[in-house]
Amino acid sequence: MRFLRHFALCAPLLLLAGCSTVDFALFHPVGRVAEAEYHYTLLLVGVMMIVILPTFLLMVIFPLRYRKSRNATYTPNWSHSTVIEILAWGVPFAITAVLIHYSFVGVYAVNPYNPDALDGSPGSALPPIKVDVITTDWQWFFIYPDQHIATIDDLVVPVGRRVDLRLTSTSVMNGFYIPRVAPMVDAMPGMRTKDSFEVDQPGTFEGFSTDFSGAGFSWMQFSTRVVSQAEFDAWTKTVQANPKTLPYATFTQLAHPTVNFGAKPAYFSAPDPELFNKVVMDAMNGVVYPVPDSLTKSVSSNEGKALVPAPASP
Amino acid sequence: MATIAKAGPNTRLWNAEADEHDTISTRTFGFWLYMLSDALIFTGIFASYAVLSTPMNLAGGPGPAQVTNAVEGFWQTLIILGSVFAYSQATVALKNGSKAGVAAGILVAMVLGVAFVSMGWHDLAALTAQGNGYSRSAYLSIFFTLIATHGLHMGIGILWMLIMLVQIVRFGFTADVVARLLNLRMFWQFQATIWVIVYVYVYLLGGTA
Amino acid sequence: MQVDLQDPWSPLFGRLTLDSIPYDNPIIVGTFLGAATIGLIVVAAVLYYKKLPYLWREWLTTVDHKKIGVMYIILGLVMLFRGFVDGLMMRTQQVMAVGPDSPGVLGAQHGFLPPFHFDQVYSAHGTIMLIFAATPIMAGLGNIIVPLQIGARDMAYPYLNAVSLWLTTAGAALIMLSLFVGEFSNAAWVGLMPLAELPYNPGVGVDYWMWAIQLSSLGTTFNAINIIATIVKMRAPGMTWFRMPVFTWVNLSTSIIGLTAFPVLGVALSLLTADRYLGTDFFTVGHGGNFMLYIDLFWIWGHPEVYFLILPPFGIFSEIVPTFSEKPLFGYLTMVAASFAIAGIGWSVWAHHFFTMGMGPDLNGYFSSATMLVGIPTGVKIFNWLFTMYRGRITFTTPMLWAVMGIFLLLFGGFTGMMLSAPAINYTVHDSVFVIAHFHCMVLVVAVGAFAAVAYWWPKVFGFKLDERNGQFFFWTFTLASIVVFVPMFGLGLEGETRRLDYVFNPQWRPLLIAEEVGIVLYCISVFYFLKMIYVSLRDRVPAGDDAWGTGRTLEWMTHTPVPFYNFAVTPQINALDELAWRRENGLDKVKPQTFVPIHMPSNTAVPVIIGAMAMALGFGMIWRIWWMAGAALLAIVVAVIARSFDKNQGYILTAEEIAKFESKTELASMIAEQPKRTPLDHVEAH
Ligand code: HEA
Ligand code: HEA
Ligand code: CUA
Ligand SMILES: [Cu+2]
Repeated sequence: MRFLRHFALCAPLLLLAGCSTVDFALFHPVGRVAEAEYHYTLLLVGVMMIVILPTFLLMVIFPLRYRKSRNATYTPNWSHSTVIEILAWGVPFAITAVLIHYSFVGVYAVNPYNPDALDGSPGSALPPIKVDVITTDWQWFFIYPDQHIATIDDLVVPVGRRVDLRLTSTSVMNGFYIPRVAPMVDAMPGMRTKDSFEVDQPGTFEGFSTDFSGAGFSWMQFSTRVVSQAEFDAWTKTVQANPKTLPYATFTQLAHPTVNFGAKPAYFSAPDPELFNKVVMDAMNGVVYPVPDSLTKSVSSNEGKALVPAPASP
Repeated sequence: MATIAKAGPNTRLWNAEADEHDTISTRTFGFWLYMLSDALIFTGIFASYAVLSTPMNLAGGPGPAQVTNAVEGFWQTLIILGSVFAYSQATVALKNGSKAGVAAGILVAMVLGVAFVSMGWHDLAALTAQGNGYSRSAYLSIFFTLIATHGLHMGIGILWMLIMLVQIVRFGFTADVVARLLNLRMFWQFQATIWVIVYVYVYLLGGTA
Repeated sequence: MQVDLQDPWSPLFGRLTLDSIPYDNPIIVGTFLGAATIGLIVVAAVLYYKKLPYLWREWLTTVDHKKIGVMYIILGLVMLFRGFVDGLMMRTQQVMAVGPDSPGVLGAQHGFLPPFHFDQVYSAHGTIMLIFAATPIMAGLGNIIVPLQIGARDMAYPYLNAVSLWLTTAGAALIMLSLFVGEFSNAAWVGLMPLAELPYNPGVGVDYWMWAIQLSSLGTTFNAINIIATIVKMRAPGMTWFRMPVFTWVNLSTSIIGLTAFPVLGVALSLLTADRYLGTDFFTVGHGGNFMLYIDLFWIWGHPEVYFLILPPFGIFSEIVPTFSEKPLFGYLTMVAASFAIAGIGWSVWAHHFFTMGMGPDLNGYFSSATMLVGIPTGVKIFNWLFTMYRGRITFTTPMLWAVMGIFLLLFGGFTGMMLSAPAINYTVHDSVFVIAHFHCMVLVVAVGAFAAVAYWWPKVFGFKLDERNGQFFFWTFTLASIVVFVPMFGLGLEGETRRLDYVFNPQWRPLLIAEEVGIVLYCISVFYFLKMIYVSLRDRVPAGDDAWGTGRTLEWMTHTPVPFYNFAVTPQINALDELAWRRENGLDKVKPQTFVPIHMPSNTAVPVIIGAMAMALGFGMIWRIWWMAGAALLAIVVAVIARSFDKNQGYILTAEEIAKFESKTELASMIAEQPKRTPLDHVEAH
């Protein structure tokens, strides 16, 4: 049974090997909500370990100790013990009760709609930064209704401010996620979801879609730049001065299936103030942006080529 | 459980008598199970109906109140219950071993079943003619599906009755035929039950709307 | 008001044109050539050795539950292999296509699969593994073992049993066909909505996925009916409920799930079919459709489905651990209770698959709690197995090794599943490869359970044991491979790698991706040892005794090895839980019946295999919109079913003398004994 011992040793070693080469993004949260997620991860895993670890040990010890060649105690007919059976139900029951308790507290703490984790944060004293997120096939539109600007694939937010997002989609379902910053939430056509976060330190963080949305899915990333308030204000000014605007008609052009290799950003001033609601209504009225065959069948060959958008079918 | 009961002198190890099982009851039991899964199909459709009958799902089209006719539905209910009654008369005749009685009962049940289905068909055709076909809105899609699924079951029942008429004449009351007649009774009563639920839930209460 | 796809369509061939055949894709052409060669060799061998009549008589038209079970398992293993090749392709793509500078070959920008092809591969992998590999193997095991464990002659409905098998096979055949004719779905095994709707998926891929699942799930429902009726109605005298072996119990609980969950899937798929063929608006975004309804319906089936798969392995471990610990199962009653608790709670947890859809915290909290409750009965099972080993006398034959490995996997999969079930954690790893790693631990419990069961019951069915040496090689390579593939995957999930990526955007992940590829190589070696194990065992054929392992406890080890087609010469009278162990204790285990009575046996029938073939034609016709073909096939099925009801064949009678002759042969012909050729009865007295 040398094998079994090896097996037991190998698994953790592999994990360690993994640790040394790369670091676990999720273990380095920067957003307040992400910190809460991290906290509850550790807490819940810790509680589970109370029962998982001893079980693991028993699973190693019993098969080794009671194998035939060792001539250990043998009770051929023993198959019942009230004490053990009560423990077998009782221990998991108690642990589960604790887990459920913390899961409930945790779900409120990180609730994307209104996270308890942001209660009393420095940012909550100020009005939140509002951003409307619209996913298309396969890009991210970020619209700042208060700043009257919009971007593609570039989310810029000030440090220490609460950010409130509304999300929807022009086509299929997508998952909005910024690993170290914000909890995941789906963006769905004809529907409106919400997400909130607040970051205490500047930096650039990768965001992407987590819910498979078709051929261009793997290239659907965006960067999240957390900058100081002053930088944010300066940035808004430059974008506001951008001659490219985003009226509804332009948006419907851009919403046609496009694979944005390398997530190259684009910036617009004066987006249609009703854009988000119009997109939701459009979807409910059955507007779709069908994916042309050329894109589904061979996305890769499209790189660099201009796409000829087909008209939206109402 | 720690002590093992000892074998005694009368311990029996083999039991040759127990070999054959009651085929009719085994078959009806299986059919019960099948009906349970069928009931779940209807449950799924009812649940979908509940979800898809909110004002959001009408897409500007007609809602439950406009597409159902409680009076006509009432007649349909009477007809389907009459059909079930006729079939139960056939079962009574089966107990007496009367071929003619069984055949007559089934025939009446069948005719009433056809009448029921054609009424439903007529309704759906009329709606379609008004431009309110199943592709008009999600609500109409599920409404048509509900009625059509029930209608399809009725159609299968009618075909089954036809076959049983032939088999009664050709085979008489063999174990197979009797088992099939009993299963068909179950099936037919089940369809009536489903219809009553449809009637109350969709025609009278108008779904959740 | 059929949907107009505005594609070329001809009445004779529907949407099928020569362009539908991807002969320009080297991978597919290569696969096709390989498969065609193997197929031709098999056909040629069958013809050369004049085995066609034998195949037809003994296998294709059989209603014997053991042979049907064996065919289920063969189907499952072949599909497992296909699923593995898909897994190999996915892993290789993901290790090649890392970062913007990664090379591309065979017309792909990165890696060797263009996105459209990769998406089909992962969708096919998930569908095949769950529906066409795991499900048939478990159904086959239930088929073979349950009647034997309760002392029955056959399943309650032998004919329906064959229909189930052939419907499942029809679905599997359709999926295999999608490789060479047309394309497969790119909307995942779950049918991502609205991605699977016509505007986003106008091709035949989603139709293949839909019809393949629909046909096989019909088969699964029938099989569930059959197993339940067999357990309720066909038990031998004295086999009270609480003398039933745990494997039989879990088959009951799993079949109850099967019977009640699959119709819900049927509804979801039928509504989608209507959307795609008739233009209804159930799951569309416009016209008042609601695609979240699909997601709910799917997971209302989908979650019970995973417990449908995991319960049989629980039963398998509950048979194997006592046999090789030489002790009764610890806590029999709680084991049974736990099975039903898992099956029951499994119904109320489905929304844990979409915590991120923006349900409120209360709903998420509720579904989180309900999910966590499953940990309790599952834990009970683990503890009961452990205390079965406690103070036992354990021998590590291959079945036992697989069982122990399965329990380890269950602990890891369960632990990570519990993590996922807390929304606070789920919001960070949902749809990441952490989820993939979680459920591969779990589905590997199913695969490992299958290997355990095949090794354990193989001698009962075929009369000789599997080669132990190669079996152990197979075990260690497979185990090591599983660790090397899936442990790094947990890590990548925690680093934020999303699932379903055909191109991995973060080059930092390359080292772990390479580690996973090493695991895939190990898997290839394990397949080699599997084949070698089968080859060596077939070559050596060391006969096994009736009680092949010497410490069997349940009824199936009491009859002849290999099991004669009538199972038990005389129906046994059951006196205790673990009847064989009880007889051994009392020195009665070698007592065989001396006097025989005639046995009534069902005759073979060709109707089920015809129904299967027609079902496949129906599916193919619908997929390609060849209406005449679909219509004719449907009609043929209806006619076959009706014609069958006019068939008066009532089976045949095996006389006492014949049974005595069969029983006196010390060693029955290898493989499953052939049935005697007999003219059928056309009337049986009521019993
Ligand atoms: C056979 C298959 C199988 C099984 C048995 C399970 C079992 C469980 N699964 Fe898993 N699951 C899948 C197959 C399976 N799952 C699949 C295929 C998916 C993904 C589908 C897709 O999206 O494609 C999935 C996804 C999935 C998700 C969604 C993830 C996501 O997409 O975000 C969740 C979340 O709650 C989850 C949870 C669980 C839990 C809690 C169990 C529990 O049943 C586990 C219970 C077991 C234990 C807990 C271990 C033993 C217990 C003890 C030792 C006792 C003490 C322990 C404690 C009290 C902690 N699973
Ligand atoms: C029962 C279910 C099951 C099983 C057993 C497996 C087994 C494996 N799976 Fe899979 N998998 C799924 C169900 C399963 N999977 C599902 C549901 C998905 C999600 C799909 C989706 O997103 O929609 C998925 C997704 C999935 C992905 C995710 C891709 C992504 O989203 O990024 C990957 C990637 O590595 C993968 C790999 C593997 C590997 C390497 C194995 C290996 O463990 C395979 C090991 C098997 C063998 C080594 C074969 C042994 C064969 C024999 C012994 C028989 C030989 C017989 C003959 C030759 C006749 N699987
Ligand atoms: Cu998912 Cu709305
Ligand atoms: Cu689940």
